[in-house]
Amino acid sequence: MIHNKETIPEQPAPKGTIGPIAWLRSNLFNGPINSLFTLLGLYVLYLLVVPTVQWAFIDADWVGSSREDCSRVGACWVFINARFSQFIYGLYPSEEYWRANIVFAMFFTLIAWMAIPRLPFKRWVAIFALIAFPVVAFVLLYGGYFDLPRVSTNRWGGLMLTLLLASVGMIGALPIGIVLALGRRSSMPIVKSFCIIFIEFWRGVPLITILFMASVMLPLFLPSGMGVDRLVRALIGLTLFQSAYMAEVIRGGLQAIPKGQEEAAAALGMTYWKRMGLIIMPQALKMMIPGIVNTFISLFKDTTLVMIIGLFDLLGIVQAALSDSRWLGFSLEGYVFAAFMFWIFCFSMSRYSQYLERKLNTGHKQ
Amino acid sequence: MTQAATNASDLMVEMHNVNKWFGDFHVLRDIYLEVKRGERIVVCGPSGSGKSTLIRCINHLEEHQKGDITVGGVALTQDVKRIEQIRRSVGMVFQHFNLFPHLSVLENCCIAPMWVQKKPRKEAEALAMEYLERVRIAEQATKYPGQLSGGQQQRVAIARSLCMHPDVMLFDEPTSALDPEMIKEVLDVMVELIHSLGNKAAVDKFVIMGLA
Repeated sequence: MIHNKETIPEQPAPKGTIGPIAWLRSNLFNGPINSLFTLLGLYVLYLLVVPTVQWAFIDADWVGSSREDCSRVGACWVFINARFSQFIYGLYPSEEYWRANIVFAMFFTLIAWMAIPRLPFKRWVAIFALIAFPVVAFVLLYGGYFDLPRVSTNRWGGLMLTLLLASVGMIGALPIGIVLALGRRSSMPIVKSFCIIFIEFWRGVPLITILFMASVMLPLFLPSGMGVDRLVRALIGLTLFQSAYMAEVIRGGLQAIPKGQEEAAAALGMTYWKRMGLIIMPQALKMMIPGIVNTFISLFKDTTLVMIIGLFDLLGIVQAALSDSRWLGFSLEGYVFAAFMFWIFCFSMSRYSQYLERKLNTGHKQ
Repeated sequence: MTQAATNASDLMVEMHNVNKWFGDFHVLRDIYLEVKRGERIVVCGPSGSGKSTLIRCINHLEEHQKGDITVGGVALTQDVKRIEQIRRSVGMVFQHFNLFPHLSVLENCCIAPMWVQKKPRKEAEALAMEYLERVRIAEQATKYPGQLSGGQQQRVAIARSLCMHPDVMLFDEPTSALDPEMIKEVLDVMVELIHSLGNKAAVDKFVIMGLA
């Protein structure tokens, strides 16, 4: 056996195995067929990107006030500019925009506060966001108190309405989903069958049907004169619909936790709710972050369906603006704008979930 | 046998005519077992003979269908409150450790004293460190279970049970999932534990049941 007491000194990697050229060679030009595909791919990319950039930026018109200011060669962002406040606030009276602005500012501040790890008092901010903020937001937006003129919910719209529907839906669907998922695994037959029937009913019906029934059929069953606000009905329908999906996602996570975890918690004398709250749920929710965020994203996009019952969310208000006779023919710009806004929010959620997954990863499953 | 040893209040675990079926399969047939304070018992038998089932009936992880089980003077019934009362005084170590992977070693040991016994965090942590010291793993307190070897995990699991100050300790095949080198470190800790706990007056009411 040969012994070498000295540590062998570090040597540079062989030429052509590191650096950008080597990367290109191994990833893009690895053999003649792959080189061909790379070139073909670049050509297709060129065909797609150049006209898009040309249309959306270079030939586009940005400033102006009417359709005459648009050359019609590229995109006419004048249309978006002119209608921007409507896209954000819907038909909310413009002299009351400041109220919506305060709510927007609080909303984004709270989200940022919860998302940025360095900021302190997370628990109090969360309590404020879940309990005080909804009340403050409602008083500000709806009015009727403190000399604020009342703005009925059928004037709410645009991005404001989309965010409202989405956040109420998410905050409602997660806890209801958790309870339903636990109930479906319960050993109590009544609880279990109630949860199964609930989940299977709401999952088996299209959301459009639910919204339509909530808006058209519900009033038939209610005593006359007792009207439930259309927005409230949409919120209830959306939340219950998504909570059924959420329940199944969370049940998947619960299924993946080994039985020994609950046994160990039980052997330590924990009650059912402590076993679930301290041991099982934290693990299941962590494991299910991708599924939960996936449900959140689909919920966010499903909010557009409220247009079926005459609520004007972001997409609805864009569509309404398209039928304005002064701005006929700008549907492409309108839809691109709406798509972009939705994409921003969904993409942020997706990135945040990836960050959470990394942060909560204690590695090493058992 | 002294008079005190036969005193009924000294019996920590009593099983009288315990029967259990898994479906049609009659696993435990008329089990009669009495374990006194300070006694150490090892249950042996071929695989599938119901050793684990027997031990798991004591803290109601398995339900027996006939007969009476009394632990520390408390009769085991269907009543959830009673079951939880018994489980608080019975520690259990599992074959596959069953540490909580989302909690650090220290948190694994603190969570039950804090949430079940309502001890303040400081006290629970001091207690946990004391027992982690005793199983010789205190330096790993901030790590997560997934970062430890099997033998280390099992020693943490022992410390976690001891933090509840149980009257009875159940070891369900504590070393059968371990490599030979690790079996030794776990057994050493267990032997040491039995001696050190046995020497203390306050804990001589301690029962250890184990499966080899």
